[in-house]
This record gives sequence, structure tokens and C-alpha cells, in this order.
Amino acid sequence: MKDPSRIYRWMLLLASLVTIAYLVGAAVQENYLAQWKGIQRQYRNLLEDKATDDRGRELLAKFRIEMKQASIPALGTVDRCVTCHNGIDDPRMTDVSQPHRVHPGHILDKHPVDRFGCTVCHHGQGAAMTFREAKADDVYWDYPLLPPEMTEATCATCHDPETLPPDQAPLLLAGMELYREKSCGSCHKLGGRGGTLGPALDNEGAKTRHQLIMTNLRPPHTAWNWQLAHFRDPGGVVGGSLMRNPTVTQRGALALTVYMLSQWNRDVPESYLAPDKIEQKYRALHPVPLTGEQVYQQYCTACHGNGTYSRWDKKFNRFVPAIRGVSLVATASPKYLRANIEQGRPGTQMPAWGPHAGGLLPQEIAAVIEYLRNGATEAPLTPMAMPTGDATRGLSLFLRNCYGCHGMNGRGGMAPEIGNPVFQQAATDAFIVRTIQNGRVGTAMPAFQRRDAPVFSDQEIADVLAYLRTLAGPKAQRAMAQNMTASAPSGGRP
Amino acid sequence: MAETATKEFVHNLHELPHTVKDACFRLGKTPESEREESQATFHNLFLHIHSVRVHLRTLSPTLTFGLGLTAMASFVITIITGVLLMVYYKPSTDLAYQSMKDIHFTVYTGRFIRNIHRWAAQLMVLVVLLHMARVFFTASYKKPREFNWLVGLGLLVITLALSFTGYLLPWDQLAYWAITIGSNIANSPRELTDAIGITKWFDPGGFQKRLLLGANFVGQDSLIRFYVLHVFVLPLALVTLLGVHFWRIRKDGGLAKPEDPMGGLAEWGGERRTVFQPLATKTYGLMALVKGKRPPVNRGPENTVMSWPHLFWAELAVFMLTVAITLTLSFYWDAPLKELANPAIPENPAKAPWYFLGLQELVSYSAFMGGMLIPVIVLIGLALIPFLDRRSGGEGVWFGTPGEKATTWQSLFFALAVTVGMLAFTVNFGWLRNWFPNIHQLWIIAINPGSLLVLIFAAWSLLILKRKDSVRLAAVSLFTCFLVSFTLLTYFATVHRGPNWHFYWWPSQWPLH
Repeated sequence: MKDPSRIYRWMLLLASLVTIAYLVGAAVQENYLAQWKGIQRQYRNLLEDKATDDRGRELLAKFRIEMKQASIPALGTVDRCVTCHNGIDDPRMTDVSQPHRVHPGHILDKHPVDRFGCTVCHHGQGAAMTFREAKADDVYWDYPLLPPEMTEATCATCHDPETLPPDQAPLLLAGMELYREKSCGSCHKLGGRGGTLGPALDNEGAKTRHQLIMTNLRPPHTAWNWQLAHFRDPGGVVGGSLMRNPTVTQRGALALTVYMLSQWNRDVPESYLAPDKIEQKYRALHPVPLTGEQVYQQYCTACHGNGTYSRWDKKFNRFVPAIRGVSLVATASPKYLRANIEQGRPGTQMPAWGPHAGGLLPQEIAAVIEYLRNGATEAPLTPMAMPTGDATRGLSLFLRNCYGCHGMNGRGGMAPEIGNPVFQQAATDAFIVRTIQNGRVGTAMPAFQRRDAPVFSDQEIADVLAYLRTLAGPKAQRAMAQNMTASAPSGGRP
Repeated sequence: MAETATKEFVHNLHELPHTVKDACFRLGKTPESEREESQATFHNLFLHIHSVRVHLRTLSPTLTFGLGLTAMASFVITIITGVLLMVYYKPSTDLAYQSMKDIHFTVYTGRFIRNIHRWAAQLMVLVVLLHMARVFFTASYKKPREFNWLVGLGLLVITLALSFTGYLLPWDQLAYWAITIGSNIANSPRELTDAIGITKWFDPGGFQKRLLLGANFVGQDSLIRFYVLHVFVLPLALVTLLGVHFWRIRKDGGLAKPEDPMGGLAEWGGERRTVFQPLATKTYGLMALVKGKRPPVNRGPENTVMSWPHLFWAELAVFMLTVAITLTLSFYWDAPLKELANPAIPENPAKAPWYFLGLQELVSYSAFMGGMLIPVIVLIGLALIPFLDRRSGGEGVWFGTPGEKATTWQSLFFALAVTVGMLAFTVNFGWLRNWFPNIHQLWIIAINPGSLLVLIFAAWSLLILKRKDSVRLAAVSLFTCFLVSFTLLTYFATVHRGPNWHFYWWPSQWPLH
């Protein structure tokens, strides 16, 4: 009779051989093929080469091939980078190749590895035991190793960048300067101050690659690479982005990237914070008011330019008012300007800038009004003796002369929304009449009552005014509100 | 006297190696006769669950493919590697992820051990399902094995629960969001209670979810709950039921097999022996200790061989084969470990473990239907099989009932066509909500691709019952439909569902995040 268990004995033999092979393979991999062991053997050879004095011989004798780590419970990190970067604090290791080389600069003098570790500055996966996993730009890890030139971003974790010696974090300072120069605050909030068109940037450095749209980005798909590409071409990275191209150099993009990466409210024990960092945090709670010019530069120029002309914005698909234009300054009262700044223009791209919205201090708003008016003395517009207007006639005049730019019901189109509730409340009759009469220099708004060629008679202006005031009525406002909700997400108008 | 005692003591000391060996290995040598082989079997706690002789059919590789044993072997592997992992793992939301990283990076062969644990667990789920299919298609659930079929179903549920609870422990993004999805499946009765507006008073979905998570969200309470279930409660339950399962196999007369043809060993190349002739005046049977007729009355001698060594070679081989397969998988493919769990960054798509992906596909149509009613219907349906199909015949033979193979093929193609058609239709044209945006949710709960599949399969099975006039064939058709649609839905949700649960031909087409 055939042996019924013969096949099983063969199977057993085969399976056992396979099992033993893999067990041996795993042991060999762990014991002899580990990357870090090879690197430490190389390093021991380097130590042997350099053991020319007693100190060198002592270091060689003390050297063991073993896993090394900087465990920093206060920061919640365990960094095993020093398992391969053995020469990090050995000043003799200047002429050797990585990973054996000494840390550049004198950073480690004040930031010893056993107190700070590595990843608090460099990011990357400190627990890893291979370079690929430590670098972590193609493994599952939230904060991959920062490129060397971007590492200064993390200085801001414990330092106020502005008090650092200028050669320590040049890109970080340049980025901070560019942020103000390019008026990023017009659309982005930082520290509670800024516009609302773009996302707030307070924790931008903490964003992982999963929080950023990577579809249009060439690898590596890391947050820092996203920032870098985004500052070169915002619309090319985020389709449909309203953000204007900041038009910066490659170094400028790098500087802005570093500044963004530095925005990370990381929870670090107080004992790690430099005194100036604590002062910086205090200053953020008790800000020193900016001058009017600074406010205008940091929070207005992205949309309004220098404010003396009416700028056509391609992304918004409309004119942005010339808020420092001579005609506006001549007609608009500080009260009117204050209302528009504090409350914004709901439903348009103009956000509110009051203390509870855009975060500007009352003194700063007063200062920027001064700046907009450019020292013009306030000459109160006296209400003129106007004939009584007729809204129906006004509507027909509006449709022929105004509707093209200001839109049906004054909903705005290319030109400002004159049906807007804030405008209707803040603008006096005299202001509106003067504006229609004289137009706005530097904008597309013509004068309708030029002395040499009047378009409107006094009666006609009164009719238009009467019509405009009907726009403040409940029915028109409902239409306006619908328009706002419809246009709010995209911001632009067809 | 004293001198004699000393002598005796020295003598005993001298004999120590032999006496200890004899005590441990009571037979003391390789069994040579069948009697000694029998003793080797029933004098050992772990072997005595086997009968002394085993039928040759049991040793045939293609009868069972060793599936049950493979499941058992992978369970043993997970226990061993699981204990090793427990030494390093810390069940706290602050420490769990870091301890996983340490297991990966610094524990000696830690990553390999974790890989083995993971692969053995996946293998176990897969093999338990295949084992169920084997038992079904060899009609091995029939009398007297109905109870063991139920025990097996219990083991299936525990196996899934074990795998599911283990999923959360790494506390990475994969774990966090898979369990979030899983707990939302537990929450699914709420779709029905919401639709009829009684959630305020009667909320079994919310209760189930809170019972599972210990909170309204996945957090520390959930982690410790899953940990206790995973390392203590469920393994204990599994071992207990496994004991019952094995004991019932023995008590029900070993693996199901057809009656031997008269004449015994002839078909195996042995001699033809005289058929045992029962005496009319005697009763036979072992005092009702074991079901079935013993000794074989009116039958030829069974085609049996000694369990020692044949069966034990086979079992050892299957065990080692499982180890070899698991090690091979673990050597080349790492168990996944994503980023630290972050409730603020949802995975998109967030997918449940693969064995629940079929359910998740159904849940995407209707949470209550896919997450509650259909699984319950399936489980009850499976449990009822041996009690509705009671006619004996075909036990222990693949597709042993006349016409079974044809029915299986027909049902396979039918289920394939229906499931693929249903999925293609839904992907292309949407469902009720797309056509009638304001329809009441109850309509969607009642009529959705999941419930339609169940109805169509039930109707198909009734048709088979009528046409082929056989309960067994009706059961075969229904079971085949279940297997096919389970496999297809799992495949579909794994491969073709991407971010926002949209259809994609291939994961490489997913938009990057």
C-alpha cells in the first residue's frame, strides 16, 4: 500500500527549510546588514586614523558599535540620528564625508544634542534607523527632514527672529520682510491681524502634506516643496486660487517658505524658550500700534496698490477703488472712511478691519484714515439745495448711465457696489451728489456735470440719488443679500 | 538501613537522566506496533483529541486543503508573536504610536515579528472564510454536525472581531480612520431611527457605538477597550470555542465522509476483507458515547490508517507550511504604519479593514441596510443552513449532491452578472437620491443596491428550489451568490473606490492630497 503521509513529509521538509531560510535571513539582516552598523564600522576606522594623541586614543577606546539616541522627554522626541552621525560633536571630523562630519557652525555650543536632540530643528523621523526613513519624504511621516537652507525656520520655535544676529537666520528675516512688503496681510490673518480672503497662516508650518493640494506639484510631495512652488505660482499649484502671484525671486520664494514654515505654535517647555521669545509672545498680546503708512503697506496694498488710481483686478474681475485718489479725499469724510474700513463691504472682497474682525487697533484705523486723506483738511460737505428727485426717472437714468459698471440694483460689477448696505448707511447725499458731479480722478468714474459738457442736470442728479436711496429699502436689500450669498464663495463675478 | 538509603539515593541520582526521560516520554521509544502507536496518541493531552485511527479520505490533501488547520496554525502564530509584541506595546494614545515605531526600528527583529503577526492575522481571516466555504461545498454541516457549524460561525465572528480590534492598536492614521468607519457602521441603525424620527427615545445605533468606543469618538477609552478585547477577552473566547469545535469534530465522528463501499481497503490497493456480519442477538454501538455506528455494522472495514504517524505528519506539515507562507510574506512586505493618528486630518478615502470593505460599499448606499440588516440576515441565513437542509447525502464529497456542480456554476455566473451590473449601474446612473433629491430617506433604506441584491439572490434561490426540487441545491445557489457578491464587493471597494468614495479605475488615478 502507498504510504499516505509521504507527501506530507516532503511538504514538512520543504516548509521547514523555507522557514529556517527566512529566520536565518532575518537574523543576518538584523545583525550584519544593518546600515547603521556599517556606518559605525567606517567611523571606527576614521577614529583609528585620527587617534594620534591621548585624547584621540581614549575616544577610540570608548567607541562601541551600538545604537545611540538622544531621548528628550520634555520635547517628546527620541532622536537616533547620532547612531550614524557619530562625529557630530567631534571638531576633528571636518575633512570626512557625511554622515561622519562634524555639525557646521557653532550651533551645538549652545544647543547640545543631549538637551535638544536633532528633530526639533531639522524635522525628520528621529526614531528611524535608516537614512531613507529618517529623511522621511517618501514614507508615512508628517514632518520630513527640512532641506539645510530651510532649517532656520525652526529657530523661531524658541527665538524671536528679529533679535537673532542677522547672519543666523537671514532667510527667515527676509521672509518676514517680504511678508510685509508684499502685503500678504491684506488677505491672510497672522496673529489675529489681517484680511479674510485667504486662509489664516498662524499654524502654516505645522501643516502636513495631507493638508495641502499636491495634485499639481512635482515630487517631492512635501509641505516645504509645496510652499516653495506655491510662492512661484500660486494659481499653478492651487487651481482657481484668488492669490496674486507675489512676483518674488527664487531666493524670495525660499525666504517666504522659511517664514511660513516658522509659523508653528509648537508646544515647547518654557525652559527651552529664549527670553526674547517670551517678550515676542508678550508683544503679540500687547501690540504697539503701527503708523498709518505701515498699516496701508501691510494690509491694503495687495488689492488697492498705491491707492491713487483704480486698479483692474483680473482675479476679482472688477475695479478696486482708488482709496487715496484726490477726488475721494476731497469728498469722503473720515466718518465715511471709518465705516468702510471697520465694517468692510459685505459681499465684496473688502473685509472688515475693526478690532473684532481684521484685528486693527482703533489707533491704527485712525492713523490709516489720516494716511489715506494725506493731510487734507476736513471740509464738511454742506448739503446742497437739490430739487426733489423722482426715483422712477432716476431708474431710467441709472439704466442708461450707471448700470453698465455698477450693475443691476447697484450690485456692483466692474465698479463698486453702491447698493451695498455699508455704503448706503455711510454715504451722505452730499457725498453721492458730489461724486456724480465731479467723478473720480484716476478711475473709470466720469464726471457727470463737468462745467464744459454737463451730462446730467441738477434735476437728473437728484432723480438718480432718489433711485439710489431706494436701494437701501428692504426689497433691494434682500436682492443684495441673495447676491452676496451667491457670490461669496468665488468672490468673482461673471 | 542508613547505608541502604544512601546507596538507593546514589543509584537514583545515577539513573536520573533515564527516569526523567521516561517520565517525560512515557513510551520511551518510537512506537513500533499499532498498540504502541495508539498509546502514543491517547497518552498525550494534545494528541488524544485525535482518534487513534484516521480515515484515508481525511489524509487526502484535496478534501480539506488543510484549511481549518491552517486557520488554527495562523492563530497559534498570532498568539506567539502577539505575546512578543505585548512586551513592547503601550496601550495609551500618547505612547502607542511611539512604541510601534520602537518595535519597527529598535526592537530586535521587531518589524519582522510585527509583520508576521499582521500577515498571520490576515491569513487567518481569509482561511476561516475559505474553510467555511469548504465545509459548505462538501456538505459537512449535515447531521450530526449542525451544532459544530454554529460553533464555526461563532469562531468566524470572533476571528473578525479579533482582527478588527487589533486594527486600532498602532494608533496611526490608518487605524484611527478605519475604526472611525467601523464604529460608524455600528452606529448605522441610527439611519433608520432618524428616518422615522425616534432617535431621541430609542437609539440602538448610538448605544452600540458608545459601547464599542467607550465615548462618542475614537480616543483613549476606545484604545484600552480594544486592547483588552484584543489581548484577553477575544483570544480567551476563541480558544474556548476552538476547544468545543475540535471536541465536536471528534464526537461527530471525525471529518464528514461518505459511507465506505463494501470491501474496504480495495480502492486503496489493500486486500479485500470479509464483511463483518452482525449477529441478530447482539447490540452494537459504544454505549452512545460517539455518534454513528461502531463497530461498522453491515459495512466493510473502514479505510483507516493509524493516526500516529500519518495524521501527525500531515498536521505538522500544514502547520509548518503556514509558518513558511507567513514568514515569506512578512520578509518582503511590511505591515503598514502610517502617520500618527490625527483627528484633524481625515484619511480620504477612509477605508475599513478589507474584510469589512464589502459592507462599507453597502453602507455607502444605506448605512442601516449595509451596516446592520444585511449582515444580520447573512449571519442568520448561514446559521439556518443545516436546519433547513436536513436530507443526508453528499457529505464529505466536493459538490457531492447530484446537480450541485451545475447549480454552483449557474449561480456563480448569475451572481457575477447581477453584482457587476448593479455596481456598474450605480456608478453610472447614481441612485434614488440623485434622481429624486427630496425623497424620504425610508425609500432609500428600503430600496438600494444592497437590499436589491439580497432580494434578487433570495428569488434566485427560490427559483432553484422550485426548478430543481432540492433544498440542498437552493442552499448551494444562495451560498454561491453570497460568496461571489462578498468577493466582488470587497474587491470593488478595495480597488475601485477612491477619495470621497468616488469610482476610479485604478488607485494611481486618485487625486493627490
